[in-house]
Amino acid sequence: MKVRLPRRVLAIGSALALTFSLAACSGGDQGGGDASDTLVAETAFNLKTIDPHRQFEFTGSTIDTAIYQTALEFEDGDLTKPTDGLCSFEMSDDNKKMTLKLKQKDAKFSNGDPVTMDDVVFSFERLKGIKGNPSFFLDGVSIKKVDDETVELTSKKPNPALPYILPNASIGIVNSKVVKENDGTTDEKDGAEAFLNENSQGSGPYKVEKYDADSQVVLTANEHYNGPEPKYKRVVLRNVSAETQLTDIQSGQAQVAYDLNAEQAKQIDDSMGEIASLPSTRSLYIFNNTDEKIGGPAADPNFRKAVMSAIDYDKLTDLAGEGSQRMGSLVPNEFVGAVPKDQAPEQDLDKTKKLLKKAGYDGEKIPFHYSSDQAVNGVDLAQLAETLQAQLKEAGINLALKPAPSSTQLDGFRSAKQPMGIGTWGADYPDPTNYNVFIPGGSVADRVNWKSDPKLEKLAAEAEKAKEGDRDAAYAELYKATTDTAVWIPLVQPVNTVAVGSSINKYVSNADISFDFAKAE
Amino acid sequence: MSVSTTDSSTAHPPSSDEAQRIKPPLLPPLLRYILIRIGISLILIWGVTVVTFLMTNLVPTDPVAAILGDRAAADPEIVAATRERLGLDQPLIVQYFTYLSNLLQGDMGVSNQTRTPVLESIGQVFPASIELGIGAILISVIIGLLLGLASALKQNTILDHAIRALSLIGISAPTFWIAAVGYYVFFFKLRVVPGAGRLDPWITPPPRVTGLYTVDSLLAGQMSTFVNAFGHLILPSCVLALFTIGLLTRFSRSSVLDIIRLDYVTAAKAKGLPARTVVFKYIFRGALVPIITVVGLAFGSLLSGAVLTETVFAWNGLGQYAFRGATTLDLPVIMGVGLVIGIVYIIVNFIVDLIYGFVDPRVRVR
Repeated sequence: MKVRLPRRVLAIGSALALTFSLAACSGGDQGGGDASDTLVAETAFNLKTIDPHRQFEFTGSTIDTAIYQTALEFEDGDLTKPTDGLCSFEMSDDNKKMTLKLKQKDAKFSNGDPVTMDDVVFSFERLKGIKGNPSFFLDGVSIKKVDDETVELTSKKPNPALPYILPNASIGIVNSKVVKENDGTTDEKDGAEAFLNENSQGSGPYKVEKYDADSQVVLTANEHYNGPEPKYKRVVLRNVSAETQLTDIQSGQAQVAYDLNAEQAKQIDDSMGEIASLPSTRSLYIFNNTDEKIGGPAADPNFRKAVMSAIDYDKLTDLAGEGSQRMGSLVPNEFVGAVPKDQAPEQDLDKTKKLLKKAGYDGEKIPFHYSSDQAVNGVDLAQLAETLQAQLKEAGINLALKPAPSSTQLDGFRSAKQPMGIGTWGADYPDPTNYNVFIPGGSVADRVNWKSDPKLEKLAAEAEKAKEGDRDAAYAELYKATTDTAVWIPLVQPVNTVAVGSSINKYVSNADISFDFAKAE
Repeated sequence: MSVSTTDSSTAHPPSSDEAQRIKPPLLPPLLRYILIRIGISLILIWGVTVVTFLMTNLVPTDPVAAILGDRAAADPEIVAATRERLGLDQPLIVQYFTYLSNLLQGDMGVSNQTRTPVLESIGQVFPASIELGIGAILISVIIGLLLGLASALKQNTILDHAIRALSLIGISAPTFWIAAVGYYVFFFKLRVVPGAGRLDPWITPPPRVTGLYTVDSLLAGQMSTFVNAFGHLILPSCVLALFTIGLLTRFSRSSVLDIIRLDYVTAAKAKGLPARTVVFKYIFRGALVPIITVVGLAFGSLLSGAVLTETVFAWNGLGQYAFRGATTLDLPVIMGVGLVIGIVYIIVNFIVDLIYGFVDPRVRVR
């Protein structure tokens, strides 16, 4: 049967074909926008809010770094030396009092209001009082305005970490007048979050144009910023999966991609862009429960040390990609108090054998928990767990893998009922005191039922008393002793990669600000 | 069983008046049919609220853990305050009735993660998925029906075999893989379609009327924005349509084959009508009725099944919103999306039932 298509069908088909071909040509269509002054950055969103005093996630922090200035900063990303930001600072000899003086007197918020000490005081008090995720930064710190240019921060106990805490994007300085007008308070009644998400109130190089926690956040240049005018007047930060980020960087569709893993990063050649590799501030480790009823063999120090000497650490750094590092403790290598890399645990299978014999381990299976859906700086935890299982099996240790979605796994770990597994820790601020939670009495030590260890408690007390130059050695000693217990087995410090497209000629990328939008050219 | 033989003899024979006065139905059959369908739909929607609430709340994990950072989670005061703020300290039944009563007032709750009202977020992302769904359904209906028709008319030829093989590939190929390969080939290598997203990043979306960028840009008279939005729609729609094309091709093929053998088609051919008229006016029209159901259900599944396609193309529609809600244990978001997708399915089924009711009078008197 011969069938000819009716004319109507043909007409509709031709019209569609014409529109399709028109649309297909629209790749370069500017559509009323201007591509040349827009920087497109892509990341898989981890975003709850950009209210600086509530945000505690990577994406929120990236955005707030561009919007808010902070009292102190890390110059050129040197995390061992906090420097002046909006304020200059001085610590008292006993590390209990910090005096801040307003330094950048020409700094202005995005509405043109000048930045005053009242704004600094309000920002500190709001962070502390609203009881959000980052409120702990100023726990035990009282804030007192001395005059229009001076503020005193007083801690009950010596607080040498304070200068390392203040550069955090969560302690951004907001325009107190406008925030108060929009239900901002310094207690739990605060209701300014929604306002701050839509209308940022900072004095940084950018301000928010459009906020959508699910799809994209658009920033525009703050015309009142007192620093150099950014080349890119607009920044579009989009929520895009890592696979699509790779294609977008390669094609020039995006200029910055945050989430490429080691394999994906290798696929970018010079014509497409380059990879800025930075040490991350994350630590990957094995946890062992010290309660015999829960941990079983893992509660035995000999068994734990056997596990520590059975691991092939070089293979783990290969897995984590170029730039990843061995760790002597959970403190990242660039921090004060880090245990030197040459003192990191080594593989020694003879030692493993002896220790297993001493522990009386008979090959029973030990449940090993981890987040199956999580990658930390490109290291897939499921792949890491499988690698460890294979390595330990060769040494005669049997792990029964217990994967779970990260939210479920976190819940299980916090309940302190898991014998063994993979833990991750990202530094809240670059100071060794941030790792006190791993010492008996700390909140993370509680999760493995590690209640006391007199030796470590003594070393911790000594480290707390140490003055500036001595802190490094005192904390290194404390954390070396912590590693020796093998309750936490440090595995690898992954690398932080940022892919930068070839259209960017000049950029600043460091461990403090992984990519500085305002300095890109 | 005893059978009475007296009834007919003892009963009054109906008078001619009574015989003519057959009781009229209380409602016209079509109206009655519609009302019953509305009632069933409402019960189903209530059922969806129960199921989504129970399934979401019986997950053996604590959403507070997903909200709080490590430090805050170690502070029992903050944990207790968060539980109270989210209403998680109440018994499950109380939580359900609070949820239901809020729902009846148009309140789907607030995202635990972003503190944004769920209804507002769904209002933002739903049009994106609708736009993608409409694009996909148009492509799949046009291509699927034509392929199915061609396959049936050329039954057991090479063309038929080729189309059947293609439809099998469409049904069985994983959408995520097709999406990734499609993006690489058509965007990165050939540059015939624009990149991910609903618009190029430097283009400002048109003023919101419907939330569909193609429609809104036309309403605002922004032709270049329309062309850009349309371009961005092509590849994800085609990828999403592949499965439905396969399904519709197979379904319409068998439907056409059923019709082709019926007497009225033979009669039409015997009358000497032109082949085109026989195919499009007799065979195709007859085959269309059962296909309506497939199209309706396919639309619902496109909305709920677009998660991976939306992820590859950074589409930020309902699928991606649901994915984020599920991975962050954002209970109000999970319940909200579950309810909306359930309602879409119910409405689509309701419309399909109505169309049947209009098209085929036998349905409404059953």
